[in-house]
Amino acid sequence: MPPTWPGRILEWFCSSLLVEEMQGDLLELYEKWTRKYGMRRARLLYVLQALRFLRPYAFKRMSTKNHSTIMITSYFTFVFRRLQRNKMFSAINILGLVLGLACSLIIYLWVDSERSIDNFHSKGDQLYRVYTRRYFGDQVNAGYNSPALLPEALKNDFPEVEYASGFAKVLRLSQQGDTYESFSLGDKAYKMRGSRAGKDFFSMFSYPLLAGSTTSALADQNGIAISRKMAELFFGTVESAFGSSLQFSSESMSRDVKVTAVFEDLPASASDQVDYLANWDYWVEHDDFKKYWGHFGTYTYIQLKAGSDPALFEKKLVGYLDERLDIQKGSNVKVELGLQRFGDQYLYGNFESGRPTGGRIDYVNSMTVAAVVILIIACVNFMNLSAATSLKRAREVGVRKVAGASRVNLIVQFMGETFILATFAVGLALLTAYLALPAFNFLTEKQITLPWHELSFIGTVVATLTGVGLVAGSYPAVLLSTFKPVRALKGKVIFNARSVGFGKSMVVFQFALSILLIILTMVVGIQTKYIRTKDIGYNRDNVIYIRLEGALIKNYKAFKREAMRLPGVAYVDRSSQTPHTMGLTGPFVNWEGKHPDHAVNFIPTSVGYDYVKLLGLRIIEGRDYSDEFPADTTGFIVSESGIREMGLKNPLGATISVFEKKGPIIGIVNDYNGQSLHHSLMPIVLDFKEGMNFGTILVRTKPGQTEEGISSLRKAYSIYNPGYAFSYSFLDDAFQRMYRSEQVISKLSSIFGSLSIFISCLGLLGLAVYAAEQRTREMGIRKVLGATTAQIFVLFSAGFVKLILISILLAVPLAWLAANAWLQRFAYKIDLAWWIFALGGAVAILLALLTIGSTAIKTGARNPVDTLRTE
Amino acid sequence: MRKTQLGEFEEIVLLIVATLGDNAYGVAINEAIELQTGRDLSISAIHATLHRLQAKGYVKSFMGGASAERGGRRKRFFLITPLGSRTLLAIRDLREQLWKQVPRGAIHPKTT
Repeated sequence: MPPTWPGRILEWFCSSLLVEEMQGDLLELYEKWTRKYGMRRARLLYVLQALRFLRPYAFKRMSTKNHSTIMITSYFTFVFRRLQRNKMFSAINILGLVLGLACSLIIYLWVDSERSIDNFHSKGDQLYRVYTRRYFGDQVNAGYNSPALLPEALKNDFPEVEYASGFAKVLRLSQQGDTYESFSLGDKAYKMRGSRAGKDFFSMFSYPLLAGSTTSALADQNGIAISRKMAELFFGTVESAFGSSLQFSSESMSRDVKVTAVFEDLPASASDQVDYLANWDYWVEHDDFKKYWGHFGTYTYIQLKAGSDPALFEKKLVGYLDERLDIQKGSNVKVELGLQRFGDQYLYGNFESGRPTGGRIDYVNSMTVAAVVILIIACVNFMNLSAATSLKRAREVGVRKVAGASRVNLIVQFMGETFILATFAVGLALLTAYLALPAFNFLTEKQITLPWHELSFIGTVVATLTGVGLVAGSYPAVLLSTFKPVRALKGKVIFNARSVGFGKSMVVFQFALSILLIILTMVVGIQTKYIRTKDIGYNRDNVIYIRLEGALIKNYKAFKREAMRLPGVAYVDRSSQTPHTMGLTGPFVNWEGKHPDHAVNFIPTSVGYDYVKLLGLRIIEGRDYSDEFPADTTGFIVSESGIREMGLKNPLGATISVFEKKGPIIGIVNDYNGQSLHHSLMPIVLDFKEGMNFGTILVRTKPGQTEEGISSLRKAYSIYNPGYAFSYSFLDDAFQRMYRSEQVISKLSSIFGSLSIFISCLGLLGLAVYAAEQRTREMGIRKVLGATTAQIFVLFSAGFVKLILISILLAVPLAWLAANAWLQRFAYKIDLAWWIFALGGAVAILLALLTIGSTAIKTGARNPVDTLRTE
Repeated sequence: MRKTQLGEFEEIVLLIVATLGDNAYGVAINEAIELQTGRDLSISAIHATLHRLQAKGYVKSFMGGASAERGGRRKRFFLITPLGSRTLLAIRDLREQLWKQVPRGAIHPKTT
């Protein structure tokens, strides 16, 4: 007997139809071979010949595989045919889903990027910021500014503090914006952005060093750590930069510094962007204010030892400053220290009642909610529209069922179809997101990219794909498969009341959301325009400002004289604070008869002779500073509200003291907004000071001659302040920039608003199509009874308009609340007029009518003969 | 004139199938070929050719003739189809026609 295993192999691999004859012939031959050649040879021949039957023609067609391939191809064919048949409809449906997906994707990426800011440091969990909480009586203020001596002291006094570093966000309290200082090497002179930090800085934060070590990076008093960008800018390569020197010109002094470290350019996810960091101790030593405990002007970062309990440490920290500050016993002033996780500052940077609360996190959270909502709406719409169009396929379902398809088969088929569509939509969404990101990045000033390489991203995409596909597909799939074949073939398919109700409430919800967004967009737009055009008390056109530093300090008088003579220049003056963001405020003014508890917060600023004229301010009473009256230099000019709040009966000539300087009030100037319109007006006191070694030089150019003015200024500057780069800013640009976030919100909300209403209209369209289908016979009968097309149109549309009205009712109160809440951040806000809300509603109704319009007209225009025939 | 529809081996197999009539199955065909042509072929080659012929439509098959010798397994018998017949005849006619045209003595076992 031959071995059995070759036969088994044949059974395994070959088509069952052929195996029988193969094995039979082999057995027959085996007998012959045994007789002819003997058993051994016969067995060998058997095996050989058997194996030779393994030829391609004989292999099993894996029958399931065969089926699936055909089925899948047929699915594609059906899907494309379906798409082609209702091209318009399908395109809109997919577009809606694509937009929804792309939107959610972009928002998700944005949220992710916001959350990761400052959160990438390897020691992130041990890094903390120290903030200060100040009590004035029952008022409490908190902020990040702390004494410059604090970091070192904390490190010495607390064993839990492993590292500590100060960071100077601004070099002086009156500074607005980032710190820029001049560097020069040979004939290269540039202003770079950077600041000061303690020697532990690079040990604490994950900023890789390209040259130098973390311990030596900022240890040298005459050293400086620079970025790759700066190194290449001045020295060409990182290697040649390390150890070399360049000239560092800051404010009033200029010295040579040695490059003791080069760090990689800071990633975009670091909130403090710097190109250089200079030594902390040197700066504190040489600064007039920083070496005192009472001066709170810098940030303090610490790293706790691993395993330390931050809450416990914070308790120890609270009263730390009590001994070091010169606070009188019994006074109502108290200063405490608090701890905040370093990575939390960006999102939770606002203080309320002395503790960090929210901030940008509100935006992040609302955007996350928005993304989820948009995704849900897009999917639901997709489901609804697919379901609506699937009615037309009822007949197909009937045929299939009759031909033997089981419910499962049908479900699988329809889900498969939707899955294909969903995959297609996801692919398009990724493409759309990819194309839209540059514009989005431009708008939000971020650098977001699609992280293809990150596993979590791919995982999320696949998960969304499956989720959307399954969910969106399940509804119509399950629905369709339940059709009874007979009724389906006859065309008598009706959805039950529940699903229609669901569809309707979806539409109401979507429209409510859209109306809300439209109204909010309008509010933001109107408010922004109001801000832009509101009179702030001074004229900010054609004004530029430059920093007072370097040789300009001692050459100021000469520079001013020269500059005022230049063509195109109208006025030149100096002020300690730039007019649009005067951050230094406080109860700095004392006057006769002032009640000790009566504190009035003023904005003090020192000025020259031409300040008032330069800004176009009005002197209401008294006079401006004038060189005709030398005694003026001891006098003050106070704004109207200041006078009012001080309660002076005869203000002119009254003596006041500001920062220990006593003098008479020589003039009253009109109120002007020294801060952004988020804050209400504060009283201002102008103090005449010349010969200051800091401040901002303001220049008003003659209208139409600004370019000329600037270029001649540049020349003058290079004469009076050689070695420093001439950099200036336009006051009105700077002013607009303060409202950057509002502008961004305005754009974003209008985009989202349009998207939302588009998607809502899609949902409405689905409903309308379905309703049209359902009511064809009803309409046919009505027409026969004498209704005109117009009447049917109205009848058909009325139901939908009702839905929109409900949406309006829902949306308006919410919009009012939201708009009010948003407007709270402004001290100067618009009134929420009724017409804003009415307009929002009207737009919604109009769009709704447009959407269902064609469907309604078609329904009305159909020949009753056709409609009544569907039986 | 069409291209050759049959390979040489296929032609032989087809002729044998026609010859054997009711008994044209794998082993029998194999023996017949061995007998007539002296070629000793593997049974699998025969099977493959037969199935190829069937795919081309020159033969059709049916199952039958199980025997104890074959472990109870049936045989697949092949029958020539009209198409197969026509093809064989066409080939024979073509050969004959060509042979007729060869002048006397051109094909001779002993001359050059």
